[in-house]
Amino acid sequence: MNKQLYKNICEESIFSSIFKKYAKDLHNFLYYKYGEKLNPQDKVQEAFVKLWENCAKVTPEKAKSFVFTTANNLMLNEAAHQKVILKYRTTNPKTYTNENPEFLMQENEYYNKLQNALTNLTEAQREAFLMNRIEGKRFKEIAEILNISTKAVEKRIYGALEKLRKDIKEL
Amino acid sequence: MKRDELILKWLNNELNKQELEAFKQLEEYNDLIQLDRSLQAFKTEDFNTDSELNKVLTTIKSFKKSGKSRISVFMRVAAVLAISFSLYYYTTTLDTTYTTDFAEKTLIELPDHSSVNLNANSSLVFNNKNWNKIREVQLNGEAFFKVSKGSSFEVKTKSGVVTVYGTEFNVKHRKQFFEVICYEGLVGVTFNSHETKLKPGDSFLILDGKIIAKEKEKELEPSWLNNESAFKSVPFKYVVSELERQYGISVVTDNIDTNQLFTGKFTHNNLDIALKAITLPLHITYSKSNDIITLTGE
Repeated sequence: MNKQLYKNICEESIFSSIFKKYAKDLHNFLYYKYGEKLNPQDKVQEAFVKLWENCAKVTPEKAKSFVFTTANNLMLNEAAHQKVILKYRTTNPKTYTNENPEFLMQENEYYNKLQNALTNLTEAQREAFLMNRIEGKRFKEIAEILNISTKAVEKRIYGALEKLRKDIKEL
Repeated sequence: MKRDELILKWLNNELNKQELEAFKQLEEYNDLIQLDRSLQAFKTEDFNTDSELNKVLTTIKSFKKSGKSRISVFMRVAAVLAISFSLYYYTTTLDTTYTTDFAEKTLIELPDHSSVNLNANSSLVFNNKNWNKIREVQLNGEAFFKVSKGSSFEVKTKSGVVTVYGTEFNVKHRKQFFEVICYEGLVGVTFNSHETKLKPGDSFLILDGKIIAKEKEKELEPSWLNNESAFKSVPFKYVVSELERQYGISVVTDNIDTNQLFTGKFTHNNLDIALKAITLPLHITYSKSNDIITLTGE
């Protein structure tokens, strides 16, 4: 048995290492699932403060699911079925500056379509798909984060891709 | 290989060379690449793990501190006990205070049967509990003491300390005015850390911080005990404020040099006679309206 299993999260060093291990994933997960309007950063803070308050009760191996569940619940309390709108940054690389105005307009249009299409995905599809595409996470890693099977991740991501392409064509 | 298998492998980043070529041949290849590139614009802002960790740790630490006070039930009980004990101690050893208002005099008996006559608008504070060890009173105003024999007896005022070696004496401490007259026995007055000993009939007067020499006192006790206030070469303003104290009135002066010296006395029983007593010698006229007396010089 790993010795760390018996260590307490109440120790600052243990707590810090858990934070370093999961905070970024948690933040990205919240962001892609709920958008940035609901302050994913704050939720990460709150969830870890809650972890600290319960440090005596939560074992280190349960810590991950504890903070994910807590943060997700905090989000749900506020989300109240708001439309999730992800921000995109149109700061294009310099090579694009020579493009003609028509191209730029088309590109902008494409971004808008994509934004709408992302909004129309289900939360489950969006979180899995964007973690894969933007954060470059493998199916297996996503499955671990979401506590679901790799097959389910595959399904979600593939479904998301098909839906996006269909939506973009139609819009 | 089937189309969706290729796409899945692409998604999971595990295409080999041959598969990659096949993937590139798919009709949707361009669409997928454009989509993929555009998606990067939706990337979340960088999450700074270290600074976020610091934030959490600060929150937790501020929280820890407030947590401490929560834990220490024992400390709370101890605090309650300490407060109640000190309250008990404070109330049982509380100083006793006597205060007289305008136009009021009172006779106080101290724990050792020494007696104090307190003149108008004065206050006397002493501690009952420690009386056997320290005979000490704090005086603000004017009082006549008859001290019974025993250990030394001290009268503290803001201007100076009067030490008694057993006997009768009068202490008057008003604004800028500090006077001690000894009637019997021996009295020491400490002013500016210098002690002056007074024998019967001697008096000690400080006006505006200066020591004023006075002639021997012939009376056996201060005149105010017989409801009269007597003055010998005292600036007129102190006479006026004594009048205000004895009758509970307020006096306004008009065109009068209040620093001129006054010798004489006034009674405490009749305001008209008292007013005449202090105004006639100085050629001053007075008028009364309600409780305000106006003195007008010529």
